[in-house]
Amino acid sequence: MIELKHLRKQYENATPLKDVNAVINDGDVISVIGPSGTGKSTLIRCINMLERPTGGQILLDGVDITAPKYDLTLARRRMGMVFQSFNLFGHLTVIENLMLAPMDILKKSKQEAYDTGMALLRRVGLAGREFQYPEQLSGGQKQRVAIARTLAMDPGVILLDEPTSALDPTMVGEVQAVIRDLAQSGKTMMIVTHEMNFARAICNRVFYMDEGGIYEDGTPEQIFDHPQKELTRRFIKKLKVLEFSVESRDYDFIGAGAEIDRYCMQNDIPPRTKYRIRLAFEEIVQQMLLPILGQTPIHAMLEYAPTEEQVTVTVAYGGERFDPAEGDNELSYTVLKRAVDGLTYSFDPEREAGNVVRVLIREKA
Amino acid sequence: MKIEKKLNEKTLVIELEGRLDTTTAPQLEAELKNSLDGVTELVFDLGALEYISSAGLRVLLSAYKTMRGQGSMKITNANELVKEVFEVTGFSDFLPIE
Repeated sequence: MIELKHLRKQYENATPLKDVNAVINDGDVISVIGPSGTGKSTLIRCINMLERPTGGQILLDGVDITAPKYDLTLARRRMGMVFQSFNLFGHLTVIENLMLAPMDILKKSKQEAYDTGMALLRRVGLAGREFQYPEQLSGGQKQRVAIARTLAMDPGVILLDEPTSALDPTMVGEVQAVIRDLAQSGKTMMIVTHEMNFARAICNRVFYMDEGGIYEDGTPEQIFDHPQKELTRRFIKKLKVLEFSVESRDYDFIGAGAEIDRYCMQNDIPPRTKYRIRLAFEEIVQQMLLPILGQTPIHAMLEYAPTEEQVTVTVAYGGERFDPAEGDNELSYTVLKRAVDGLTYSFDPEREAGNVVRVLIREKA
Repeated sequence: MKIEKKLNEKTLVIELEGRLDTTTAPQLEAELKNSLDGVTELVFDLGALEYISSAGLRVLLSAYKTMRGQGSMKITNANELVKEVFEVTGFSDFLPIE
């Protein structure tokens, strides 16, 4: 079991990990996902101490491996790492790459290391390549050798840092197949990946990283189908978000309209959908809410989900319960209702902006 | 929004260009206020109109009501998106759209 307690990694100009807390159970296969620059690779490089954390603790079966006098070779024997760029020794043959560490560190005999190495090469589909040098192999083959080399140390934990990112797309599948096989072996694994379908297929847990930590930790079903937190939802659905805060009637609506146009152009949103977005924004905010609300701030958010080809316009505002359907601007409400594919209103008195109008606009050919 | 008026005897053609929305509708409303006296046929040429919202519809509706007492009113050349707004709101049921 690995416990991360208030883990922090700070560089001179950035702090990718602010406060990471997690328990990784034996046998967990965890996909680490999130936008670029959110500390995913830093996290797994800290876990095996390739990067020394600037704060917090990492407990490996209860032993603090960040303690100053801790012998790191003990932890590294138990945690193998697969890198994006393979990191094979170019001057050694494939089998020598696999035999080196078991002989040096585990003090295995040459024969034993060779036998284990050959068995692992068969497992990753590379029997017959043992006497070739890395430069004679394709990217996918090199990465499979790197995985076999990690396995040669028989680590309980395997950390994989974007193992398919440097590969030609045609070779991604062969490496993923090996990792899939490995995921069923009962070893604890953490894999940083941008391949969402792959992440979902192999893991029992997902860490979504953002804002300097593990922003949401859940099962693949939770994270991919029912994310609980806002940034996870945006990332998973690849949402393109545009927000406005309308403070008064003097708000720059012409500027806001231009921003919506720009947003639609950047996201290749068809003209008919753009028209309906602008209509929804205008009818709700300018026609129905502003005359009633006066100075009460209105928050409007557009979310475009390219995978679902739909736009959601959410308008939230404070004050007493006010459902635009019950207002006196019938024409505006009719235009809105008829122009969109879904219209809901909800009120939560506990929230500051408790009134929420949500509109759904689907792209149509 | 650009508004151009062409009066030919008792027929007034109003060409609209741009967007007829909350911001620009008052402009059209003001133009219409003093233009309809003696007019028996009012034509809105929307060939260059990109967008219309309920604010614009309201001004057209008001003009329609005025014209009903003194003649007729019709819409011409509206683009597909603008036409769709007339259709979904039922305006096309009573307003001639060509």
